[in-house]
Amino acid sequence: MSKHYSEDDLILYYYEERPRGGDIQAHLDRCDQCATAYRNLSATLRLVETPAAPERGDQYGLEVWQRIRHQLPEQELSWWSAWFRADRLALAGAFVVMVLAAFVTGLWWASGAKSAPTAGIAPKTSAKASGDDGRQRILLTTVADHLDRSERVLTDIMNTPAGHDISLEQEWAEDLVSASRLYRQDAADAGEHSVALVLDDLERSLLEIVHSPSKATAANLDQLRRRIDAASLLFKVRVLGDELRQRERQDVSRPRALSTHTS
Amino acid sequence: MDATEVTAVLTRARQGDSEAFRTLVERHSRRAFQLAYRITGNEQDAEDVVQESFIRAYRQLGRFEARAHFGTWLHRIVANCSVDLIRSRRARYDHTSTDALDAADQPETDSPNPERLAASAQIQQTVAAAMTSLSPLERAAFTLRHYEGRSIAEIGKTLGLGTSATKHSVFRAVKKLRAALEPLRGES
Repeated sequence: MSKHYSEDDLILYYYEERPRGGDIQAHLDRCDQCATAYRNLSATLRLVETPAAPERGDQYGLEVWQRIRHQLPEQELSWWSAWFRADRLALAGAFVVMVLAAFVTGLWWASGAKSAPTAGIAPKTSAKASGDDGRQRILLTTVADHLDRSERVLTDIMNTPAGHDISLEQEWAEDLVSASRLYRQDAADAGEHSVALVLDDLERSLLEIVHSPSKATAANLDQLRRRIDAASLLFKVRVLGDELRQRERQDVSRPRALSTHTS
Repeated sequence: MDATEVTAVLTRARQGDSEAFRTLVERHSRRAFQLAYRITGNEQDAEDVVQESFIRAYRQLGRFEARAHFGTWLHRIVANCSVDLIRSRRARYDHTSTDALDAADQPETDSPNPERLAASAQIQQTVAAAMTSLSPLERAAFTLRHYEGRSIAEIGKTLGLGTSATKHSVFRAVKKLRAALEPLRGES
């Protein structure tokens, strides 16, 4: 007789997350113990019916609209719509005039000087800057998302009652630790030292969460919270997350601007 | 509304046209309410989630990929708003969800079998009470898996969880519900 299947395996099988008719089905056909366990599980889950939501009439959408229409915030514009706003167009026009003026001045200046040995480097530098901008924008977005997820775990830990099972938060934290390490290295490589520092603090606290007992006592939780508080971690994570989102928005609305953020 | 009209409405909404956004609100509100109610288990909370979700969606429309399906994107926002709301009102959810219990207590007039109905009402009442004992993520993951039929991969993407964490949210929810319901199974 092959090994018995765990309750978790049977739950996945019930929800068709494992192929029907595969090994599990063959095993259930010949193993009374697992077949009984599966029958019990299925019978219990079949009792959980989809709750009927209170009815909402045809006008419901309109009612929702009436309630939110005056609360609508300013949209976070995509870069192209932000770019084509009238005030931006005026700025862009002024910028073009300045570039032309600089170009003409440069031509006039160069005509009186010997040929520059660095001619040809500028386009390469510009292409490199554009590539760096793209990478930096991706970094901003991914780190901001990462901080959002981390904030949730930290908030959960700050609000968890003593004795509560935190294994779910631990698994989540474990996923985040490895991501955090990569982002920290990327941030350091990109010269984003303040981002790297916050990620370093975050990584330590996440690791501490991962290595705490899953049935955390009041003392365990107190220690975790003190560490989070001492580093003002939640505050830093929130502020940095907001800052990165803001920079992300600024960057997409100025796609050609050279990005030389210093933190 | 055909696909071309939907695209046109989305494009206008993304350009800040509030009337176009109104069309989206009218079209998707009922579905959003249904999902929010299933996750929160409370009518007023579901209303709050619907409003907050549309406000968030409006703010972030610039980031919405035009090729994606607006309903799917909104679904994700509603699920996450529901989780956030349950978290923020956790103390309130220490008590049983009165809406769900009230609904279970309502006698249904068109049934010929009152005993069976009473048993069914008791089961649903127990389910509602057991749901309130789940953590916000367990509750959302279970709702998306059991009621909405979403795959583990989709749930993970929706809630921003890894595969392993998503599976464990579902496992733990099922185990808690089983513990609450097993005693009733013989009676049903």
